[in-house]
Amino acid sequence: MKKPLLAAALLIGTGASLGVRARTTGDTDGVNVNAIGMFFVFVLTSLCITYWAAGRVKSSSDFYVAGGRIGGFRNGLAITGDWCSSAALMGIAGLVYTNGFDGLIYSVLPFGAWPLMMFLLADRLRNLGKFTIADVVSLRMARVPIRSLIASAGLAFVVGYLIVQMVGAGTLISNLFGLKYEYAQIAIGLLIIVYVAFGGMIATTYVQLVKAVLLLSGTSFIAFAVLAKFDFAPESLYAAAVANHSAAEKLMQPGGLLHDPVDAISCGVMLLFGGAALPHVLMRFFTVPDAKEARRSAAWAASFIGYFYLLSFFIGYGAVVFVMKGPQFLDADGIIKGGENMAAIHLAAAMGGDLLLGFISAVAFATIVAVVAGLTIAGASAISHDLYANVLRHGRASDAEVMKISRYAAIALGILGIVLGIAFKEENIAYLIVLPFTISATVFFPVLFLTLYWRRLTTTGIVAGGWLGLAAAVAMLVAGPTIWRDILGHEAPIFPYKYPALFSMTISVVTMILVSLLDKSARGHREVRAFEDQFVRSQTGLGAEGATRH
Amino acid sequence: MEHIYRAIRRDPRFLELERRRSRLSWILAAVVIAHCLWYIFAIAFFPEARFAALWGKPLAPGMATTWGIVIGFLQIVLFIVLVVFYIHRANGAFDSRKDAIVADATRAAGVND
Repeated sequence: MKKPLLAAALLIGTGASLGVRARTTGDTDGVNVNAIGMFFVFVLTSLCITYWAAGRVKSSSDFYVAGGRIGGFRNGLAITGDWCSSAALMGIAGLVYTNGFDGLIYSVLPFGAWPLMMFLLADRLRNLGKFTIADVVSLRMARVPIRSLIASAGLAFVVGYLIVQMVGAGTLISNLFGLKYEYAQIAIGLLIIVYVAFGGMIATTYVQLVKAVLLLSGTSFIAFAVLAKFDFAPESLYAAAVANHSAAEKLMQPGGLLHDPVDAISCGVMLLFGGAALPHVLMRFFTVPDAKEARRSAAWAASFIGYFYLLSFFIGYGAVVFVMKGPQFLDADGIIKGGENMAAIHLAAAMGGDLLLGFISAVAFATIVAVVAGLTIAGASAISHDLYANVLRHGRASDAEVMKISRYAAIALGILGIVLGIAFKEENIAYLIVLPFTISATVFFPVLFLTLYWRRLTTTGIVAGGWLGLAAAVAMLVAGPTIWRDILGHEAPIFPYKYPALFSMTISVVTMILVSLLDKSARGHREVRAFEDQFVRSQTGLGAEGATRH
Repeated sequence: MEHIYRAIRRDPRFLELERRRSRLSWILAAVVIAHCLWYIFAIAFFPEARFAALWGKPLAPGMATTWGIVIGFLQIVLFIVLVVFYIHRANGAFDSRKDAIVADATRAAGVND
C-alpha cells in the first residue's frame, strides 16, 4: 500500500520540478519563488497526511466516510474546505471587480443554501444514510432504478465540476509558477489519485482541513490589509472603489450582471437549491458519528463559510481600488493580466508583495486540489458503491472487492480529469459551473426533499421526474445562449436563458409529483407505506448506520 | 426494529416533539427563503420595482455605501445566527426529549419480546 504511494509522490515531485526548471531556463516572466516554495510545503504536508491515512483505511466505511468517526468541529472545517472552491475565492472577487454589486449574488444566495440544508436535510440524512445520498433514497425505494439515476446524475455533476477546477488550477499554476499547463494538469491529477486511492476519505478530510485553515487565514489577511488602508471604515473603501471604476455609483447597485429578470430568478433558484444538495458536501454528513454531530458540524461549517463570504464584501471592491489602476497588473491594453479571475491574486500582491502573493497562490492551489479530491471521492463512491456493488452485483459484492473498485474508480477519475483539463484548455469554463449546480437543483434537491417529506412519493415518480429533468437541463444548457450561440457559433440561441434551473427544476418536481400520484402499482403502495418507518428513523436515528450513542 | 418504530409512532410525546421541531424548522426555512427571494427579486427587478429601488440607494446622501450592501451583509450574519439558534434548540431540548422517547420504546419492546 505504501510503496506505490511513495513512488507516486516522487514522480509528482520530479515531474513538477522538471516543468519548473524547463520554464525558468527559458522565459522567466511570472515565476514566483515564494509561491513554488509554499506550493511544495503544501504538497509534502498533504502527502504525509495521505501516508498516515493510508495505514488507517481498512474497510469500505473507512474509505468512504472515514469510519464515521470525524468530530463535529473538524468535519465542519472539512465541509468548509469542500464548499469553498477556487470559484468562491477568485470567482466572486473577479465578478465584483468587473460587475460590482451583482457579483455578491454568488456570496449571499449559495450561503442561503446553508440554513436550508441545516433545517431540512442535514440531521435526517445522517439518520438515514450510510455512504452516499443514494443510500438515503433507496431505503424505501427500489434500489436499482434509484441508484442508476442518482449515480448517473452524480457522475455528470462530478465531471462538470471537475473540469472547472482542473482548468482553473492549470491556468493559475501556469500563470504563477511558470509550470507548463499540461504538466500542471498531470501533477494535479496524480496528486488527487494518490490522496483518494490510498488515503480515501480519511486523507481527503485532513487535506481539506489544512486547506480550509489556509484559505480562511489567507483571505482574512487580504481583507484586513485592505480595510486597514482605510482605517477600517468600509465607506471610505467603497467611495474609493466608486471613484476608480468606470461604472461609478452603479458599482454599488444591483443590475450590473443579471439584466434579465427571468435569468436572475433562475440563477437564484440554481444557487439556493443546487447549493443545498451538492453531493460531495452532503456526503460529509455521513463522516460524523450521529445526527447531533452532523448538526454541530453544519453549524461550524456555516459559521466559517459565512465569515468567508462576509470577507468577499471587501475583497472584490479592494481589487477595484488597488488593482484596476496598478500598471504592473495590467497588460498593454489596460486589461487585467490573466483575466478577472486573477483579481484576488493580484490584490494579494498589491497588499503584501511577493510573499503574500506566494502564499495566496499556494492557498488557491491547495483549494483546487482539495476540492477535486472531494469530488473524486464522491464520484468514486457513485461508481463503486452505487453502480458496482448495488446495481451490478445487487449488494452481493464483498467489502474488499468494493474497495478495489473504488480505488480503480479514483484512478480513472484522476486520469479523466487530466484528459478533460487538457482538452478544455483555453476554453471559457465559467459556464460549466452552471451544469453541476443545475443538476443538483433539478435532481438531488427534489429527490432528497420529497423522499424525506412527501409520503406519496414512489420510485416510478422519482425515475420519471429525475431523468426528464436531467435531460431537460442538459438540453436547455446546450440550446442556451452560452453554448449554442457563443461556443457553437449559431446566430441565435434556441432556448433564450443562460440559467435553465428554474425550468428544469419545475419539470422534475411536477413530473415526480404527478407520476407518483398516478402510480397504483403494488411496489408504489409498499413504498408509500414504508414512509412511516423511514420517518421515525429520520427523526430519531434509531437503526441508523454506525450510530453508537443510543 | 419495525415494532419499535411502531411504538414510537404511537407515542403522543413523539407526535408532539415532531410537531414542534418541524414547526421550528419550517418557520426558520421560510425566513431564509423569503430573504433569498428578496435578494433575487431586488436584482431581477432593479430599479423599477419599489422593494428593489431601496437596494441602490445610498445610506445617506453623498455616501458610497448602498442599502443593498448593508442588507446583503446583514443577511449573511442573520443566516449564521439562525443556524446557531437551530442547533442550540435541536441538540438541546429536542434531543433530550427524543432520547427519552426512544429509551422508553426500546425498553417496552424488550419486555414484550
